[in-house]
Amino acid sequence: MLNDPALWHRIQFAFTITYHYLFPQLTMGLAWFLVYWKWKALRTGDEKYNRAARFWARVFGLNFAVGVVTGFPMEFQFGTNWAGFSKYAGGVIGQTLAMEGMFAFFLESAFIGALIWGEKRLGPRLHFWAAVGVATGSWLSGVFILVTNSFMQHPVGYTVLEDGTLAFDDLRAYLLNPWVFVQFAHNQCAALVTGSFVVAAVGAFYTLRRQHAEQARLYLNAGTLVGLIASLLVAFPTGDQQAKFVGRYQPATLAAMEGRFHGGRLADLAVIGQPNVAEQRLENPIQLPGVLSFLAYGTFESYVRGLDEFPKDEWPDNIELLYYSFHIMITLGTLFIGLMGLACLLRWRGRLETARPMLWALMLAFPFPYIANSLGWMTAELGRQPWLVYGLFRTTHGASKVVSPGDAIFTLIGFCGLYFVLGVLFLYLVGREIMHGPGDHPE
Amino acid sequence: MSALWYAILAFMLSTYVVLDGRNFGAGILHWIVARNRQERRQLIAAIGPLWTWHEVWLLGTGGIMMMAFPRFMALVFSGYYLALFLVLWCILLRGISLEVGGHIDDELWQTFWDSVFTVSNALLAILFGAAFGNVVRGVPMEGDGSFYLTFFTNFRVTGQVGLLDWYTLAVAAFAALVLTAHGATYLTMRTEGPVHDRSRRLAWRLWLAAVPLFGVITALTWVVRPELLSGLPHRPFAWVNSFIALGGTAALVMGLKQQRERLALTGSTWLIYGVIMTGAAALFPVMLYSTLPSAPHLNATALAAPDHSLRIAIAWWIPALCLSLFYLYVIQRYYSGKVKVAKENQGLY
Repeated sequence: MLNDPALWHRIQFAFTITYHYLFPQLTMGLAWFLVYWKWKALRTGDEKYNRAARFWARVFGLNFAVGVVTGFPMEFQFGTNWAGFSKYAGGVIGQTLAMEGMFAFFLESAFIGALIWGEKRLGPRLHFWAAVGVATGSWLSGVFILVTNSFMQHPVGYTVLEDGTLAFDDLRAYLLNPWVFVQFAHNQCAALVTGSFVVAAVGAFYTLRRQHAEQARLYLNAGTLVGLIASLLVAFPTGDQQAKFVGRYQPATLAAMEGRFHGGRLADLAVIGQPNVAEQRLENPIQLPGVLSFLAYGTFESYVRGLDEFPKDEWPDNIELLYYSFHIMITLGTLFIGLMGLACLLRWRGRLETARPMLWALMLAFPFPYIANSLGWMTAELGRQPWLVYGLFRTTHGASKVVSPGDAIFTLIGFCGLYFVLGVLFLYLVGREIMHGPGDHPE
Repeated sequence: MSALWYAILAFMLSTYVVLDGRNFGAGILHWIVARNRQERRQLIAAIGPLWTWHEVWLLGTGGIMMMAFPRFMALVFSGYYLALFLVLWCILLRGISLEVGGHIDDELWQTFWDSVFTVSNALLAILFGAAFGNVVRGVPMEGDGSFYLTFFTNFRVTGQVGLLDWYTLAVAAFAALVLTAHGATYLTMRTEGPVHDRSRRLAWRLWLAAVPLFGVITALTWVVRPELLSGLPHRPFAWVNSFIALGGTAALVMGLKQQRERLALTGSTWLIYGVIMTGAAALFPVMLYSTLPSAPHLNATALAAPDHSLRIAIAWWIPALCLSLFYLYVIQRYYSGKVKVAKENQGLY
């Protein structure tokens, strides 16, 4: 990996995209909470919903702004750091990136100012529609970026031109890539998990501090219910289907995700274990026999291929990291279902607001969906290696040849510094908003 | 087909410059037209709710560039690597300074972010101007079209050029001046009170100052690329756009003289459109001009995506443009009124 000419470009892209995606996942998750509260306020006329919407709009605004400014470098890095890739695949993926700009970003950005700032100017009905516009825009942007990513995971609808670059053969096939439906459902549910955990955490925080009781109840109720449903959907059917797709179209990736070096029937699902790539085995494993066969292909008897059946230069190039990412994501996802299930049960019995250990757990749980989301994307992107476009184009060929590693390291360090300051600033300001609470804010 | 997309790309880029140019200008003038904290909050409130809308036109332009001219994007973005990251970081700081300044009612806090706002906007105006100068002047390409530009070499405009030379710096100064004038024109329309009065006086003076500089830039362009100007008579699109620029100038002068602020802004908008589009029409079909004799110039057709893709994209680009015109209409309805001097130092913008 260290002699990889694309190394620093990879690290920079991985860092900037992982950092960037901390923000859009909350944007996409929180947007529908805002729509819901604006809608309830419109229907019932109850001021508490407006207060909730106003409070969360302030958090949303900060989060959105950081999402915008960290999202900007993403599109540009296709050209600056990944010139080889842009030249090779730009004729195909450029299409959805351009659509994302014109359809999603324009919609979001036209109405974000109105959503955060324009309640008085727009009136309740238009203000509700501004919220719908922003929420729709943010999810549309997810559609286009996931179509792009799905093409990289499972290329369809293309032809190869004489000069070796890609062009469209079938736009419909490209847009309706089967991969994208599963990935979109999985990813958007995961964004809702982040949103609901954050909402529930703030509700738990206020309840523990015996502040803003009415608002806190609203956040706890919405957060735990959406949290439970979204956590369930992330695991089944969307996560299950996603893994089946990987098994079908990227069998080497599935083998690496499970640390499976040798093929066979009755494949074990590793619950615990560490892959030892040098000796090609799983250390200290606890395994469930046959479960991997069942989950991936539907019967316990199904044959699951091992890494030894693939040429070594087609193995994902960081098997350990891929294995840990996948397994920790699964573990966290399972814990989310348990936590939110228990919280919903307590709420149903009317005891959630007095169950202080549960409130503590809810308050402290909010970072973990961020971790799970990041690990899920690491699984997807590390699993795709060594390919940039699966089976067609290697990552090492995608990097800009004219940019020296030194320049890439320089900009990477620049991003580290800027993003560190940005993170501190964001946490400080959101913390202030939360301490200030959903009461009346000077406008 | 590639010619059409070249025109669309030029249109998207001009739209971005016209819209974000308001922010650049307002940023540069921030400390000049707004003399105390309340006035500076007022200025921020005049552009705050719309800054993302203005800024995403750059993302839209980037997306179109990647779709229609992937090779161009690959060559240019990697070739201007460090300069582009400087642009990205300035955009980041500009956005953040707008967003967070109003969150805390503290003089030092706001002074700091107001300064970041001014510096990043000024740098952006200069960098974009220099970028435009670079497109006109050309780049030192290798035989395969690749290049990697340093910030400056010997300040000459031929051979191994850098990002900055005497020509691109002159264009940068001109761009910064015009965008500042544009920003002043916008602020005149969007504010009232002392900020409005100062912006109005400055707009007039800045536009007057731009006139001689325009003459200088035209003369310099004659030195750097004489064929661009001598070829103009054979380029009907350049005429059309020159007329748009002239019409814009007339509207601008009339608007400023009669204090019809909306007309003045329309005028300055069409003026900037006209100038950029005239430049684009004069440059066509060469997109990458080579300053070294060893490498050929690269035409739009050679850099474009296959015709099939371009034809597909037209089918969705037109509805997308109609949608954005609709957003523009909604925004115009709600955000064209005047912003008053702030009563408090705090506010989300």
